[in-house]
Amino acid sequence: MKSAENKPLFVTGKVLENRNINGDYFEIVIEAPDIARNARPGQFVMLSRWNINNLFLKRPFSFYQIDAEQGRFAILYKKIGKGTEILSQSKKADQVELIGSCGNGFSLPENVGKIALVARGIGVATLLPLAIEGKKKGLEIYSFLSAREKNLLLGPDKLGPLSSHIFYTTDDDWKGTDGKVTFFLEELLKNNRTDFEAVYVCGSKRLARHIRELQKEYHFAAYISLEERMGCGIGACKGCVINTIYGYQRVCKEGPVFPLEEVILNE
Amino acid sequence: MNNKVDLSINLGNLQLKNPVMPASGTFDIRDTILNKEQLNSLGAIITKSIASHKRLGNPGPRIWETEAGMMNAVGIPAEGFEYFKENILPLLEDFCVPIIVSMVGDSITDFCQLAKKLDNFEKISALEINLSCPNLNDGLYFGTNKDVLGDLIYQLKKNTGKVVMAKLSPNVTDITEMALTAEEAGADIIIIANTFLGMAIDSEKLIPRLGNKVGGISGPGIRPIIVRMIWEASQRVKIPIVGVGGITSTRDALEMFLAGASAVQVGSANFSNPYVMLNIIEGIAGYLNKKKYKSVKDIVGLIK
Repeated sequence: MKSAENKPLFVTGKVLENRNINGDYFEIVIEAPDIARNARPGQFVMLSRWNINNLFLKRPFSFYQIDAEQGRFAILYKKIGKGTEILSQSKKADQVELIGSCGNGFSLPENVGKIALVARGIGVATLLPLAIEGKKKGLEIYSFLSAREKNLLLGPDKLGPLSSHIFYTTDDDWKGTDGKVTFFLEELLKNNRTDFEAVYVCGSKRLARHIRELQKEYHFAAYISLEERMGCGIGACKGCVINTIYGYQRVCKEGPVFPLEEVILNE
Repeated sequence: MNNKVDLSINLGNLQLKNPVMPASGTFDIRDTILNKEQLNSLGAIITKSIASHKRLGNPGPRIWETEAGMMNAVGIPAEGFEYFKENILPLLEDFCVPIIVSMVGDSITDFCQLAKKLDNFEKISALEINLSCPNLNDGLYFGTNKDVLGDLIYQLKKNTGKVVMAKLSPNVTDITEMALTAEEAGADIIIIANTFLGMAIDSEKLIPRLGNKVGGISGPGIRPIIVRMIWEASQRVKIPIVGVGGITSTRDALEMFLAGASAVQVGSANFSNPYVMLNIIEGIAGYLNKKKYKSVKDIVGLIK
C-alpha cells in the first residue's frame, strides 16, 4: 500500500458539470489535467470553491472517476455541511482550488482472480475507480453495496457492468441479511468456497468489522479506505490520525487506504 | 518591479532576507508542496517541534473548523532527538535560509538537555521554545506562569549559544508581563503568540468535537487579539517580536508589522493555500513600493 506516489500539486480546476443525482447526492466533473494525470484509485483531492475567509479549510474528496486522457475527474458527494452546500451550487466553468492527488491509493493483487468490493452509501465513490482498473487487469469483480434506503443505493448502474456478481441490501429492506451486505460475502466464502485475492471496503466501520472477522477465518487480503476531518491533506498538520496497531497514522498520508488488519476499528 | 525595496530584517543575531516564515506545527519539511527554490525564498524554515523523546500526540478527532478559523488538539506529537538528528537534520542541510528548531519539553531539565544537544549543530540558527506545554514537575504551563517561564528561559540560555525565541502563550491576563519576563530572562526574540484555548461540543452526539476535549484556536478569528497583544508588548519590550496568529494575506501581515512585529509566521492558512507565504512576501514588497518605503524596517511599530 505504501507505493511511492507523486507529490501533490496545488492547482486551479474548472468545473465541467455539477449534477444532482438524487436527494442530497451530487456528481461534479472537474478539469484539472495535472491532477487527473497522476490520480490513482483510492487517492483524493483537497478542494475549495470558497475563499479562506468564508470557509477556512479545504475538504477532502476521493476520486469517483478518473480520466487521465481528457484531464478530468469526477467526485461523488453528499450535501452534508457548509462546504458541500457551497459545492452543490457549482456551475459549469466555475473555478475550484485543488491540492492533489493526495494519499496512498489501492493496490490490486498481482494474481488474476476474484476481488470483492464492499461499499456502504457514498463509500462506493472510492471503489469505482478500483473496479475500473481491476476490470482492465482482468480481475473478476464481486460488488456488495448497502445503504439506508433503496433510493440511496449509489453506483449499481456504474458498478453493475463491471461486476460479474453484484449484491445489495438496504436497511429498510433487509432481505434476511440483518442489514449487512457482508452476509452475502460470508455465504460465498462459506458455501461456494469462493476465494478472493482481496476484499476492499469503504463507508462503514460496521461492515469493516464483519470483514475483519471473515478475514481471520478465510485469510484473504483486505483493505479499508478511511475518512477523517483534515487540515492540510498532505501530512503536515497531523490532524487526521486514526489508531492502528502501529500507533497513530495519518489518514491523508499513510492512508487513506490501510490494510484492514492494521486498523483498530473499535469506537 | 519590486526589487528596490529591502525586505531583510535582523532579529537580534538572526538575519532574515525577508520577514515571513512558517509557524511550527503547520509546516513539515517532509510534507510540503513547496519545492526547494520556494522554500529557499522564505525568511526562515522552522521544524515541527522536537522533544527529547518521541511524543505521540492526542487521540482524534484532532481538528475542528470554526466560523473564522479552526481548532486543533493535535497535542504536539514530536520526534525525539535521535530521530531528528538522523532523519530530519539531513533534509535541512540543503537550505540556505536560517533553520529554526522548535522545541517542546516536559521540564526545565528536559528542555535544557535538548538545547545542549542541539547546540552542537551549526546548521541550526535558533531555537523556538514552545511554551504551551505543561511542566510535568508541577503541572503549570510554562507559558502561563511568569515564574516558570522566566526560570526556563534563564536556564536555557545557560545551555545554548543559539538564538532563543520564546513562543508565548496568549492564554494569559497580561501578555506584556510575560514578554518582559522572557526578555529579562534572556530571550533573544519573543513570538506572539500561540493558539487560544477553546472548546466545541457536538450537541447531537453529546461529546466534545475534539478527542482531547479542548484545543487551540487559530485562524483569522484570533488575529485582532494577536495584533493588540503585539502592539501592547511592543510598547515595553526592546527585543524583536515575531507575530503569529490568523494571517491569511499580505494585509494581515502588514497589521502585525505596523503593530510592532519585526517578522511574522504564517500558520494554518498554509493548509488552504500552500503558496500563501510566497504570496505574502511578494505582497509586502508591493506594499512598500506603493507606499514608497525603502525597507520593511520602516513600517515596524509605526502605530504608536
